[in-house]
Amino acid sequence: MSQDAPKTQSSGNGGGDEPRIGVFVCHCGGNISDVVDVKRVAEEIGRLPGVVIATTHMFACSDPGQAMIEQKIKELDLNRVIVAACSPSLHELTFRRTLNRAGLNQYLYEHTNIREQDSWVVTDKELATQKAIRLVRAAVARLPHLVPLRKRVIPIHPSVLVIGGGVAGLTAAAYLANRGIAVTLIESSPFLGGRVPHLAGLFPTGKQGRDLLRPVMDAAVNNPKVTVYTNAEMVQSTGFIGDFRTTVRIQPRGVAPTVGDIQAAIDACPEQTDDEYNFGLTKRKAIYRPPEGSYPAYPAIDWKSCTKCGKCVEAVGGKGINLAEEPREIEIRSGVILIGVGLDLYQPRLGEYGFGRFPEVITLAQLNRILDPNGPTGGKLLIHGRQIRSIGFMHCVGSMQRKGIHTPGPDGKINDYCSRVCCTACLHAETELKQRYPDLQVYDFHEDIRTYGRWHEDYYTRAAEQGVAFVRFNPLRPPRVERDPQEEKPLLVTTIDRLTFNEELEVPLDALVLATGLVARDMSRLIDLFRCSVGPDRFLLEVHPKLRPVELAAFGLFLTGSVQGPMDTVESTAAAAAASAKAAAMISQGSIELDPFVARVTEELCSGCKICLNVCPYDAIARDDAKKVAVVNEAVCTGCGTCVAACPCNAITQLGFTDAQVKSEILALLGRTPADAVA
Amino acid sequence: MAETVTTGHASQTTAVAWEPRIIGFLCYWCSYTGADSAGTARMKYPPNMDIIKVMCSGRIDPELITTAFANGADAVVVLGCHIGDCHYISGNHKTMVRMPLMRRILEDLGIEPERFRHEWVSAAEGEKFSKLVAEVTEQVRELGPLDWPRLMRERGVGHGADLKAWGE
Repeated sequence: MSQDAPKTQSSGNGGGDEPRIGVFVCHCGGNISDVVDVKRVAEEIGRLPGVVIATTHMFACSDPGQAMIEQKIKELDLNRVIVAACSPSLHELTFRRTLNRAGLNQYLYEHTNIREQDSWVVTDKELATQKAIRLVRAAVARLPHLVPLRKRVIPIHPSVLVIGGGVAGLTAAAYLANRGIAVTLIESSPFLGGRVPHLAGLFPTGKQGRDLLRPVMDAAVNNPKVTVYTNAEMVQSTGFIGDFRTTVRIQPRGVAPTVGDIQAAIDACPEQTDDEYNFGLTKRKAIYRPPEGSYPAYPAIDWKSCTKCGKCVEAVGGKGINLAEEPREIEIRSGVILIGVGLDLYQPRLGEYGFGRFPEVITLAQLNRILDPNGPTGGKLLIHGRQIRSIGFMHCVGSMQRKGIHTPGPDGKINDYCSRVCCTACLHAETELKQRYPDLQVYDFHEDIRTYGRWHEDYYTRAAEQGVAFVRFNPLRPPRVERDPQEEKPLLVTTIDRLTFNEELEVPLDALVLATGLVARDMSRLIDLFRCSVGPDRFLLEVHPKLRPVELAAFGLFLTGSVQGPMDTVESTAAAAAASAKAAAMISQGSIELDPFVARVTEELCSGCKICLNVCPYDAIARDDAKKVAVVNEAVCTGCGTCVAACPCNAITQLGFTDAQVKSEILALLGRTPADAVA
Repeated sequence: MAETVTTGHASQTTAVAWEPRIIGFLCYWCSYTGADSAGTARMKYPPNMDIIKVMCSGRIDPELITTAFANGADAVVVLGCHIGDCHYISGNHKTMVRMPLMRRILEDLGIEPERFRHEWVSAAEGEKFSKLVAEVTEQVRELGPLDWPRLMRERGVGHGADLKAWGE
C-alpha cells in the first residue's frame, strides 16, 4: 500500500520505521466531552498496534496541554502524533508547532476533527463516541504512511513590479522604495496619475485630486529606487514567485522633453478627439499636453488618433518630435508583482435616463470636471453654455441592477453590486453646489443612500440642512426622463416617491447628473497570464477577504486598489499600503516557505502522456522531452492534486495526500485492515 | 438507532445490526469549511457520514470512490466548491466532468444512483450540508446495505467471482 510514499523529503527528525504513535483526545472543556466519551475513545485507540500512548486533556491547545504533548513526545520517543479536537482550521498549525518544538517533523502530525464534525452535530452520545473512534482510528491508519516533509524554500529576487500608475500603484511604489526595494512601475497611458487628478474635490477632505496626489507622485517618481515606464503594456509574464520575468511593450512618446514651441505643434495638428481628461466635455489634438497634475509633465502623442501627417514636426522645425520611432520591448525581472490596474466608470447605455439623447443629462464625472476651477468652464456651473437653476442627481446608474429591469451587458451579466463611492460622491457634489449657489434647486433621486464610510454621513446631514430635496424611488419602477412637454425646463423627471407614500412626482430640471457606477476593466489578458480568480462582479478576487485580503491564490501576486472592487481613494491607498507591506515582508525575508503538499512525479511510472499538463490550473507541470516524463515546478504548484486524479499511470502523487494515505483512511473508517481490504 | 436487517444473498441470511456507512470526500476550502460551519451552528445531522479531507475536489480519483464501495461503504458523497469559487481556479471543473462519468460506471456496476452523490457546498452552506447528509443517510437506510461482493459476482467483474459476501 505504501509504494507511493515519497522517499526524498526526509529531514532526519523523526519518522523512523516503527511508528510510535501518541494520541491526545481533547475535552475542549466539555464542548467535546459532554457528548463524546473521550476516555473511551482514548482507551479503544490505545489498543491499536503502534499506539504508545492515548490519553485525554481538558484543553489540548492550552499551554499546559501543549507542554504535556511536548513532554510525552520526548519522554516516550513518539514519532507520530494525533490530536483529536476541533477543526484543523483552528489548531492544526498550533500542534504542528508543538511537534517542531519537541524536535519532531511537523508533518508527522494528524489533526482529527471530533468537535465541528462530531460532538456539535451528533445528539446521541453513543453514536458520537463511535464516530470519534472511527475518525481517530482512520488517523492512526494514515500515520504510518506519513513521512517527514520540509517546507519548500523559494528565494526571492529583491524587486517588485507594480502594474498600474494610479493612486494605488504610486502609493505602493513609494512605500516599497522607501523600504529600499527596487520598484518598476508600468503604466499603459502616457501619464501617471490614474483617476484621482480628474477629481475636483474629494470627500472627506474636500481637497483637489491633483493636490492630494502630488506628494504621493513626488515620493514615487523622485525616489531613485523607482523606475517608471509610461505607455507601457504587459504582453507576457513567465516565471513564478521569487523570479517573475515580465515582457513589457513600450510605445514611443513621440515628443522629447526638450521640444521647442509645443503650442505651435499642437495648433498645427489637424486631428481632434474627445479629451478623456474632461470625459468628452472638450476636445483635444492628437498631440497634447498632459492634464494638470500628471507626470511626466511634457506632451505626448496619442497614436490612436495620430495619422503621422508630419505637420507638428514641421511646426517645431523637426526638433523634439519623432513620428517614426518604433515600439520596443523590455523584460522586467521581479520577485513579486503588484496588480493595480484600477477600474472603469460605467458607461450609460444610449437613452438610459435620457443619456446621449438629451445633452442636459451628464455623468457625475463630467460634473466634477465642471466644478474644477481649472476645468472646462472655469468652475462655473454651465452645461453646454447654459446656466443651471435646477439640477437633479440620479443614484445607482449602472449599480444595484436587477434582473428583468435592467439590460444585461455584452457578457450577459448585470451589475447587481453596490459601487459604494457614488452615494457620498453625489452628496459631496450636492453640498458643494449648494455652498456655491445657495439658490440652486437640487434634487436627489435615490433608491437607497449608503454613506458607509467614516464622516460620510456628515455630507448627508449637510445636504439635508442645505435644502437638497430627497426623492426615494422604487427600483422596480425607476424614474423616467423626458423632454418637458410644458417646455418650462428642458427635462422632466417622473417618479414615484416612497418618502411621501408613493406619490407620483413630476420634477422639471435644467440638468440631470447620473451617478455612474464603477465597473471592472477588461482584464482578460492579465487574468489569463496570472490565473486570477474573478468574482461574479468581474473584479479580481483575493484569497480570503479577511485573512489574506490583498493576495491572489497564485504565490507572489498581490492586489492593490480598486482592481479588487469599487473603492474610494482612502480605501485604495489603504489597500496599496497593505499590499506593499506584504510584498516588503516577503522580500525582506529573502526567501519564502511554502507548504510541502506538492505533486511529485515518479519518473519510472510516467509515460509522458501530457494529460497532467492540461489539467494543471497553474501550468506548473512541463514535459522533459529528453527523458519523456512530466516535471513539476514546485515553486508554482499549489498542491490541489488535480493532476494526481488525472494520471492514468498513477505516476503522480501528492505529498500529504498520497493514495496510500487516503486509502488507509477509507479502509479504517470502514473498519477494515489492509489485510482484508479489497484492492 | 441501529436496526436489524438481513443481508447477504438468499441462502446465507445473517442478522446484523446495520447502520449506513457513508464516506464523504470534501474539498478543504469550501465544503469541509461548510461542514465546520454546520458544526459551529450546532445543526444536528446523522453521524453516518465520515469525512475525508482533500485539498481540492479535483484530487478525488475515481479509484478512491471504488475503493470505498468495494470495502463496505453503502454510499459515497463528493463535495466541492461551487463552479467559479474553486480555490485552485478550475480544479472543480475536472470534478464536474469526472463525477457524471463515475455515476455511469457505478450504475453499470448495479449501484443505485442514490448511493453516489456529487454536490457543490460552499463554506457558508452549513445548512445545505447538514440536510444533504440527513437525506443521503435516509435514502441509503431505505435501500439497505450495498453488497459489493454479490454485485461483482453477478457481473463477473474483477475478482468478484472469488469474493465472499460480507459476513460469510
